[in-house]
Amino acid sequence: MKTPPLFLVLLGLALLAGCNRSDPSAAGAGATGKPTIAFVMKTLNNPFFIEMQKGAEEAAQKAGVNLLVQAADREVDVERQMQIIENLIQRKVSALCVTPSGSREIVPVIVKANQAGIPVLVIDTRADEKALAAAGGKIATFIGSDNYDGGKIAGAFLAEKLGGSGHVAVLEGIPGHETGDSRLRGFREALAKSPGMKIVASQPANWERDQGFNVFQNILQAHPEVNAVFACSDLMALGALEAIAAAGKTGKITVVSFDALPEARAAVKKGTMAGTVAQFPVKMGSMAVESAAKLLRGETIPPFTAVPIELVK
Amino acid sequence: MKAPISGSIETCSPPHERRDSPRSRAGLRSTFLAYYARQFGTLGGLFVLCVVLWSQTPYFLTADNLLNVAEQSALNAIIAVGLTFVIISGGIDLSVGSLVAFSGVVMASLLQRGLPMPVALLAGAATGFGCGLVNGLLITFGRLPPFIATLGMMSMARGGALLYTEGRPISGFAEGFRWISTSKLGFIPVPVLLMAAIYALAHFVLRRTRFGRYVFAIGGNEEAALLSGVPVRFHKTMVYGVGGLLSAIAAIVLTARLNSAQPIAGINYELDAIAATVIGGTSLMGGQGSVVGTLIGALIMGVLRNGLNLLGVSSFIQQVVIGAVIILAVMIDMAFKRPKR
Repeated sequence: MKTPPLFLVLLGLALLAGCNRSDPSAAGAGATGKPTIAFVMKTLNNPFFIEMQKGAEEAAQKAGVNLLVQAADREVDVERQMQIIENLIQRKVSALCVTPSGSREIVPVIVKANQAGIPVLVIDTRADEKALAAAGGKIATFIGSDNYDGGKIAGAFLAEKLGGSGHVAVLEGIPGHETGDSRLRGFREALAKSPGMKIVASQPANWERDQGFNVFQNILQAHPEVNAVFACSDLMALGALEAIAAAGKTGKITVVSFDALPEARAAVKKGTMAGTVAQFPVKMGSMAVESAAKLLRGETIPPFTAVPIELVK
Repeated sequence: MKAPISGSIETCSPPHERRDSPRSRAGLRSTFLAYYARQFGTLGGLFVLCVVLWSQTPYFLTADNLLNVAEQSALNAIIAVGLTFVIISGGIDLSVGSLVAFSGVVMASLLQRGLPMPVALLAGAATGFGCGLVNGLLITFGRLPPFIATLGMMSMARGGALLYTEGRPISGFAEGFRWISTSKLGFIPVPVLLMAAIYALAHFVLRRTRFGRYVFAIGGNEEAALLSGVPVRFHKTMVYGVGGLLSAIAAIVLTARLNSAQPIAGINYELDAIAATVIGGTSLMGGQGSVVGTLIGALIMGVLRNGLNLLGVSSFIQQVVIGAVIILAVMIDMAFKRPKR
């Protein structure tokens, strides 16, 4: 019947998409002869990963490889990340860098990439080693910060700042998520050295800013004595800062967090935040692509590369 | 509100239902054409999309990739079947994504406690079905609008999943369970076969059984259906039960696929399923639609996402494109109906 519009519309959209694609070699099957490295981020609506993308793009240009960056809409969408990687396996990319949305959930698709002969470089968040071994999966390398150490640095700093005694609230990432768990472990261990430091509440705010706001507001209701916050990421800490301001307690609660995003650095300068453990996402991104390029040239790369961390205070 | 709905039902109900209505042969034939043209319209859209992708990237039209797309679409497609029933009956179900999580973690915890697989799977299915029935009862006996009842269930089931697991994913299952998502029969992945079987059954139920006819009747004009002796409450309740059951089946596939059941799984799945349903030509007003259309709708979404990944399109543009397709598909669908009034 008279419905060519749907055809035409889809045609138009697909062509539009085709014109906008960021990978020049997609149509020509690597006509340029350059290998394509895929980089799958957790999400691209977190400044941390946008910084990482910047580093990756610079390194790709230097190394003379094509870079294909893809991400799920939501950081926690493990199934969508799996789909993206499956599609990139079909796309026959030469190497795959991935920041896993779930440490264990990433394992099945790593195995799929192994079967397709595509080397996998795990970045930022570890893939669960036990699950990986059980599934017979292999990764080329892990490049990331030592989150456990970072947590320890944050804990020691907070204890020192408060003179060894205080009521601490913790904003956790997504439970069962390796990055957050390591930071938390390190933080708790450092805090255990100062018996005066008590953790009065510890709740997940799932890495998100608005949840950081809400969860901390609730914690403040239940525990008005709280005078320190450790957030496992800056976004959650920035949310908590707003909750602190809303409660009129700015300056009375010491906030320490992780990531050192530009906005968090500004808050440290302003004095609303005490400190934030800096990771170097740009460096992480560039190291990932450099290592992938090395691997493709047949060079060997170490199984683990620690990206440095430092406390911004 | 009711007049235009019953108007559109006449142009777009399945042709065989009209067999007993006193109509001329010509009228019957044009109804038949209108119904199938709609299906072909959506199918044509899918076809053109495939042709365009084929011309743009050599990686799209390979047997491997097409099976990959089908496998990826299976989850959304299975959930969308249930939603198609609900929407045809004139309702909506926002809880399906949360029910995927809730029934998934219940099943996963039983599997990990070492219960036999059939028992765990049945318990998961019963969880989904039971929550769906609660939706239905709240709507029929509680007289709540479907939007509100299922919105409440969406939150309760999500909270239930988080409480049950203390927020942690449950992972690591036996090969026998993972088989559901990792194996192939012949060359076709098991989830795709499961999807095909569910669609064949759903199509049969909707088109060839009394249950299906009643669902259409209730969505077309609930009062008329009630006055004609259709047990409206029972059928409406069951429709939501089926929706919950299909969420639980999707949860089985998802858990096997990721080797993990997450309490935060399935967020926004209801929106994907609604999108597949409306792209497939089912009207949100109720009373008309088809599962075949929904399947095509789910495949269109799967192919779009796959194709945009293959082309390396930025993730942000992908979201814009998918949103635009949903709006345009429905606009075209509406334009299709207007001259008939």
